[in-house]
Amino acid sequence: MMQRFGAWPALTFIGLFFVLPLLALVPEAVSENGAAFGRMLADPLFWPALTNSVLLGLSAGVLSTLVGVAVAWQLAQASPFWRDKLMALLGLPLAFSGMVIAYGFILAFGRAGFVTQILGYLGADTAEIGGWVYTVGGLTFAYAYYLIPRVALTLYPVFANLDLRPIEAARTLGATPRRAFLDVVVPEVGPSVLGSCAVVSALAMGTYGTALALVGTQVNILPLLLYAKIGDGGADFPVTSALSIILLALCSLVLGLGDHFSQRREHATFE
Amino acid sequence: MSLSFEQVGFQYRGTSIGVHDVSLSLASGELVALIGPSGSGKTTLLRLTAGLISGHSGRIVLDGRDLSGMPVHERHIGMMFQHYALFPHLTVLENVGYGLKMAGVEAGARRKKSQEMLDLVGLGQLAGRRPAQLSGGQQQRVALARALAYSPQALLLDEPLSALDASIRGQLRDQIRQLQQQFGATTLLVTHDQEEALAMADRIALLDQGRVLQYGTPTELYENPLNETVARFVGLSTICTATVCGEGEIDTGYARLRCDTGARAPGEQVKLLVRPEHIEADPPLFAVNRMEGHVTLNRYLGSFNRYDFMPHGAQQPWLGEARSAPADAIAVAPEHIRLLAA
Repeated sequence: MMQRFGAWPALTFIGLFFVLPLLALVPEAVSENGAAFGRMLADPLFWPALTNSVLLGLSAGVLSTLVGVAVAWQLAQASPFWRDKLMALLGLPLAFSGMVIAYGFILAFGRAGFVTQILGYLGADTAEIGGWVYTVGGLTFAYAYYLIPRVALTLYPVFANLDLRPIEAARTLGATPRRAFLDVVVPEVGPSVLGSCAVVSALAMGTYGTALALVGTQVNILPLLLYAKIGDGGADFPVTSALSIILLALCSLVLGLGDHFSQRREHATFE
Repeated sequence: MSLSFEQVGFQYRGTSIGVHDVSLSLASGELVALIGPSGSGKTTLLRLTAGLISGHSGRIVLDGRDLSGMPVHERHIGMMFQHYALFPHLTVLENVGYGLKMAGVEAGARRKKSQEMLDLVGLGQLAGRRPAQLSGGQQQRVALARALAYSPQALLLDEPLSALDASIRGQLRDQIRQLQQQFGATTLLVTHDQEEALAMADRIALLDQGRVLQYGTPTELYENPLNETVARFVGLSTICTATVCGEGEIDTGYARLRCDTGARAPGEQVKLLVRPEHIEADPPLFAVNRMEGHVTLNRYLGSFNRYDFMPHGAQQPWLGEARSAPADAIAVAPEHIRLLAA
């Protein structure tokens, strides 16, 4: 029955609910002969928002990848008993809403958070620590909370299936442990790690739920600027569309770069 | 380059598995096969030599250097693995040149030498391919070229043919032996295939439970096994219990057979060993050691038949090989009956 329709049902669904809404942005953004882009670029909030978004995306992406790689490696080494437990635990943050995570961070690290209070008892400056969670740095940590499991669970099969025998071969052929790691392990897992880093970086750049709940509009990032513009009484829809296109292009660029490096695995040369 | 093991011992933590008091010596250019049942310690000995496991007692000496504590990459050893272990992201040519690169050989010379090695194994035209684009046999030939390319002091072969189809196994076996002799590489071969060991090795060490049971030439192991375990592991045979009943005569319970009993006294229990090719089918009526009976199972193997023959009164069949299976009698010449301790 399904074969009769081929891929059309899925394509229709994607077209209606994914492609069409995105395409609708384009005529809106260029409706005044592109004047919306000029207004967007002239907005004093735009460039800081762009810079902060890139910074947040890269820092959350890199932090999550670094920790996620270590967790994935541990998962690959663990016994089946502990691996099942760890994977169940890692799945939890993925199931939480961004709001819950933001609220949890406020309760733990906010101005009245219990971690902040404990550090205050130990002599730390509670105002400084309590304020930090509402900055790009704080957001990086909050994002990493649910991006680390994503990286770890994506990369775990890569590490679990890593063939260690070529490492032994490289060692017998005269490679030091470090050299064997660089020549054998890095080319094998590097593209997957980079690809995973790109995905979580793009996610961090585009997401806004946790940021909105945690910092409101205190931190100027593209998704929150977009939110503010839609929420304004006199919303400037062409500028909002232009901003959406920029954010979309930024995330696509990061994903594209990740994909490019992942593809290079097949064409890697060694000289 | 000679290789020797002097009272080498190693035990995997928390087990009694490993090798115990192993002493072997390999002359320069010699190929020694390590055979034995699973868990006998043959792979352990190979990995200790490569340095892939460490913490042994005794000494492993390669060309006068004690390898104890020496890192793997300084041992200058070429190794072939059961599942090839090629570098998947490198081309065939780059795989072969890896050892040369580690040795600091300049790119041009490296490429030339790698290409020569590939030509030697008959894969010169596949230099630009990746391992995944090759068959199992081709990958193992690349692994052989890679192991030999940087002229290692010893070559270690870890069941190099066991993952391959029977049709290519024989061909690659000959190629490995030919190149090993051409390069004069002192070689340790681990195999569970006794035929492979007999065909390739200058000498064979049979290990069981981490100890060397017998070390000698293939002929010595086949024709003069020291005990029943060696006899059972190397080659096919008929082994059964008998009693010495006089000088030059033994009694199996169903037949009295003439053979060399040596200094054994009458009444002594022994095991008799007869190889299948020494059993004569349908001998003349008055032949020595003639036994009548019938064939219980015959296996047609092309150029010959391998059969089970049950002599009258026997509980266990005799294994024989002949162009055609016997009709009702077999015989075995006295000089082909070997007696082992019971």
